[in-house]
Amino acid sequence: MVEINLSFLLRLLADGLLIGFIYALMAMGLTLIFSVLRVVSFAHGEHYMIGGFAAYYLLETFTGLHPLVAILLAGSVTFAIGAVFERIFLRPLAEEKVERPGEYAILVTFGLGFFLQYLTLALIGPHPKKAARYFDLPAFELGPIKATAATLKLGTIPLSATRLTAAVIAVVLMLIMLYLIHHTWLGRGLRAVSQDKQAAAVVGINPLRMSTLAFGMGTMLAGMSGAALVPAFAWVPAVGAPAAVKSYVIIVLGGMGSIPGAMLGGLIIGVVEALGTGLLPDPNRAFAYRDAYGMLIFALVLLLRPRGLFGRQE
Amino acid sequence: MKRVDWRWVLTGGALVLALSAPLLLSGYPYWLHVAIVAYFYAILASSWSLLAGYAGQFSFAHMAFMAIGAYGSGLMGKYWGTTPLTGIVLSTLLAGLVGLVIGVLCLRLKGAYLALFTIAFSEVLRLTLNAELDITGGPNGLDLAPLLNTTSRVPYYYLMLALLLASLGFMYWLAGSRFGLFFRSIREDEEAAAAMGVHIVRYKVAAFVITAMIAGLAGGVEAHYIGLITPNILILGQMSIVIAMAVIGGIESLIGAAIGAILIQFSLELLRELGNWRLVAFGLLLMLTLRFARNGLIYPLIERLVLYQARRAVIEGREQKAKQVGEGA
Amino acid sequence: MMELEVRDVHLHFGGIRALNGVSFSVRGPELIGLIGPNGAGKTTLTNVISGVYKPSQGAVYLNGERISGLPPYQIARRGVGRTFQVTRAFRRMTVLENMLVPAMALHPAGRRQEFVDRAHEILRFLTMDHLALEYARSLSGGQQKLLELGRLLMLDPDLIILDEPFAGVHPKLRETIWEFITTVHQQGKAFIIISHDMETIFTLSQRLLVLNFGQLIADGPPEQVKDDPAVIEAYLGKEE
Repeated sequence: MVEINLSFLLRLLADGLLIGFIYALMAMGLTLIFSVLRVVSFAHGEHYMIGGFAAYYLLETFTGLHPLVAILLAGSVTFAIGAVFERIFLRPLAEEKVERPGEYAILVTFGLGFFLQYLTLALIGPHPKKAARYFDLPAFELGPIKATAATLKLGTIPLSATRLTAAVIAVVLMLIMLYLIHHTWLGRGLRAVSQDKQAAAVVGINPLRMSTLAFGMGTMLAGMSGAALVPAFAWVPAVGAPAAVKSYVIIVLGGMGSIPGAMLGGLIIGVVEALGTGLLPDPNRAFAYRDAYGMLIFALVLLLRPRGLFGRQE
Repeated sequence: MKRVDWRWVLTGGALVLALSAPLLLSGYPYWLHVAIVAYFYAILASSWSLLAGYAGQFSFAHMAFMAIGAYGSGLMGKYWGTTPLTGIVLSTLLAGLVGLVIGVLCLRLKGAYLALFTIAFSEVLRLTLNAELDITGGPNGLDLAPLLNTTSRVPYYYLMLALLLASLGFMYWLAGSRFGLFFRSIREDEEAAAAMGVHIVRYKVAAFVITAMIAGLAGGVEAHYIGLITPNILILGQMSIVIAMAVIGGIESLIGAAIGAILIQFSLELLRELGNWRLVAFGLLLMLTLRFARNGLIYPLIERLVLYQARRAVIEGREQKAKQVGEGA
Repeated sequence: MMELEVRDVHLHFGGIRALNGVSFSVRGPELIGLIGPNGAGKTTLTNVISGVYKPSQGAVYLNGERISGLPPYQIARRGVGRTFQVTRAFRRMTVLENMLVPAMALHPAGRRQEFVDRAHEILRFLTMDHLALEYARSLSGGQQKLLELGRLLMLDPDLIILDEPFAGVHPKLRETIWEFITTVHQQGKAFIIISHDMETIFTLSQRLLVLNFGQLIADGPPEQVKDDPAVIEAYLGKEE
């Protein structure tokens, strides 16, 4: 039986929170798409995956490239993919020319995911790629806080520099998104369309353009999440699926369409996973079951309170 | 003058082809294997289209039920010493039972929520099968005893063909019965169906149980043919392939889905040199079919043929009647 | 004889009180109009009766049995049929199949041919028999409305709830629907009809229920309700 002491617990919590911020960023993208288009994108994981590869290859090709720029460019790539896809395949939904739109959206985004995953596999091959750490922490000591290039130690709690960087990037991006949504004209347009398409159209907002933008922004956020994490994990074309499933869990937990819900949900899932993994005695099985904890929460939420924490009651 | 009923011609031709395939392919046992796998996918695709295209339940748990059939029989053989036949029968029932539970849990879930929940179920099953190494063999999979006492593929070929024809026959009978009527009304408009007195709970759950059992049966037979089952069969990519086969074949047509599956499986094999690019093309085809040909690519051809015949028959019937009335006046 | 009792029904949605203590009874084949300003709760009330919503307080009884809380299909099977504000035929099924659904749902043992014959009979009454094999989605709006009414007859309910049957309907069709209602009513079925078409509903109904802000403010024959000051105020506002 593993000794549960405070330091171990805090370590798990810290790990969970850090990864939770990235989950939250990715889920934010998914929930943004849902709030404006009323569509759950089943290709979200693949944008995360492509973002990671885009960042990796950009950094490999342009050796002087700053990692943050690489992340931005990776986001642009996935933004473009999302916007083009929306324009061609989801436009009929926005124009309300589709019978049984719910089914169509599920199937066509699923198809996109399938297509993107195998396209990447065909272009890049199955061998995992791992990017080098983006930033080396400056070595210093300040009381209980010790930093080396790869790790920041708060007392006895080690935080990997890569995850820390990713978490910081995620937090910054989320703050930027929040600002965008609440304090800019663009954000106001998105919110208007998410509430009432026709009313938005009447006041001069183009709901079709907003739909394209929202989808693109959503996929951009997924891409940037991947780009931020590609130094942390071995990246393969199949890496999108588990990440996507986590996003679904998070948006259902937080409430579909709710951005605060996505953020809080991300943190909760990150922490739950970390705690769950750490607390199972057998390390091999614990790791294999890591994704299962989120699923359990997911199933419970769907059955007991489908609108999640902050979702609208349909 | 008797009009040629193309339905019978084509069906007959296809049956003759299918029945004589082992003879035609006698020098190419690999292709016989491809055919067996193709029939397996055809059973999965057509049963999925019954669940989704008829009853409107877009479940991603179909492969999970198939896996329950496979692993169930394998584990029963391993721990209880059951014969493959017994194992398959019992695990099919088990798949039905799990289908019942999932069906009940999914009653209040619609659209994306239903899809997500069934994905979650499938993933949890996959994770569990991967994790419990001692019991299931984990990622390396579980060995299964052969179903038939033979070294040739031919008996398995006929078995799978028979299974395909039997399940299609059963599903067609179901679709033509009140089950089919109620399934479709639920898909069209569940609220209106309820207002018309359709027992929503019973028929939604029935859709799950029936299709789960068909998938489980197919899974059990296939697993005992191949001799091995791994959790990889449960990855979402596999479910996507089945869905793509059903969509491209025609999601509202059982036979369209089945034919779609067979054609696609053979195409994938024929294009093996293209490696992963085959699936890229497949994915693109799926998206384009959804966008521009929602009834699928195979089904419209069938529709033109079958319904054309049916409509002609009705019109001719009416013309006859009108003639009789005219003559009687 | 059919008896429906709505007893002190309240319905809350979050902070909104959609229905605030509504009580009335329907005995036998009454022809009742349900009117009130927009947002008064008319459709909500019919949703409660037909089982789409469960009342937060109070209950609905049909022939002595408590039906509030049962799923909609159970209530439909007990003899309450309804239409929706927007026509909801089964679009990708044929007219005949649309008609067969309720009949086969209610009678597990019946023979399909009997139902087919009955369906044709009703379709002839609605002058739609020639469309029997057409898909519902290729019908005109008016024909779809008639199909919905035909479907109701196949359900053979004792109480029929119609939600805005005359909305957006051209005069010839209005006549057909009027005839449908009066004929079927004479055959012994009760009607609750929601309508904003004042002229029609006043002439058609034997009794009017007037709803405002989720409360029943009048219940009586049209001539009486017409002059009720509460009703006038609800529609036109207080006279200065």
